[in-house]
Amino acid sequence: MKRLLPLLLALALPVAASAADYTVQPAQSTLGFSSSFQGQSFDGSFGKWTAVISYDAAKLADSKFDVTVDVTSAKTGDSDRDGALPGADFFDAAKFPQAHFVTTGFRQNGAQVVADGNLTLRGVTKPVSLNVTFKPAGSGATLDVDGALKRLDFGVGGGEYADTSVIGAEVKVKAHLVLVAK
Amino acid sequence: MTLRSDDGHWGSIAKSFHWIVALAILGNGIFGLLMDLAHSPMQKINWLALHKSIGLTVLALFLLRVLWRWGDGRPREESAPRWQQWSARAVHVLLYLLTAALPLSGWWYNSVTGKPLQWFKLFNLPALTAADPDLKHLVHGVHEYLFWFLLLVLVAHVGAALKHHVFDNDDVLRRMLPFGRARRAAPADPQPPAAPPPTGESP
Repeated sequence: MKRLLPLLLALALPVAASAADYTVQPAQSTLGFSSSFQGQSFDGSFGKWTAVISYDAAKLADSKFDVTVDVTSAKTGDSDRDGALPGADFFDAAKFPQAHFVTTGFRQNGAQVVADGNLTLRGVTKPVSLNVTFKPAGSGATLDVDGALKRLDFGVGGGEYADTSVIGAEVKVKAHLVLVAK
Repeated sequence: MTLRSDDGHWGSIAKSFHWIVALAILGNGIFGLLMDLAHSPMQKINWLALHKSIGLTVLALFLLRVLWRWGDGRPREESAPRWQQWSARAVHVLLYLLTAALPLSGWWYNSVTGKPLQWFKLFNLPALTAADPDLKHLVHGVHEYLFWFLLLVLVAHVGAALKHHVFDNDDVLRRMLPFGRARRAAPADPQPPAAPPPTGESP
């Protein structure tokens, strides 16, 4: 029994302490953003990103999102814009090839679950909050998040491009993840 | 100077339309040709936005001008050989057509490239056609060569106006100048007015 105890504890603790872990199905999942240029909104998406998702609506304190994005994989449907985005004035992908979001905590805001976290983009780390909609489906789940950030907080499109009457100040972020239980 | 045109003068509204549209389309055309002098992509974006806004203004002024001209009429044509009167009319029709075709072809080009079209950052206008990268080069050519064609027609227009002013000594140019006064405006003019042009001006 003495020998078994640590083993039992080891088995029981993860179940008790952590939320369920999921793997992302990349083919069905999207990570998108939208902003505006000259009064017209546009949508973009990242083609390459990974996410480690651990979530349980009943154990928000133990839930965690950890997302890494390859900023060179942004596509917005305009070749001029897509050519400019990885450049030094925008994502500066040569220096900062990845953006990273990791949650610091979850809270309940009325019926809405909100994920608070830190986004590191272009070498700048700032808090960003995302609305979370988690729907269990069979052995997996779908996870939808959306939030907004100010591009200039991260120096994206600084200098001459800082003119928010041409390039919108706010960038909306939206992701749809199809998850399978680990 | 009156607002409306009469038999001997262009009214101030007709003159304003003429000169504002002339300056705007010429200035904007030259501005368009100089776009590549922008020192940064953002400056080019802003220059293009201004170019598009001025072009849309020209198009709006063109529509207002045609409406005004339709209700306002024009001074009588100076007596001149019939071929000169017909040439003048042909050149005027061409200039009107080009005044509309230049901004419209720019709008077409903007649509083909899929870029937003905004008027002085105030409101957006829809695309005329779907974006089509394969057409970009062709439509840009149409837009640019229309301007070169406009310059060619303008040489005839300005040349003829100067010829009337300098060699014929008549009022064709004077009556369109912003503060020009017709020579024959004074009632005590010793020169008898030229015979009215042959009737049946319009076909």
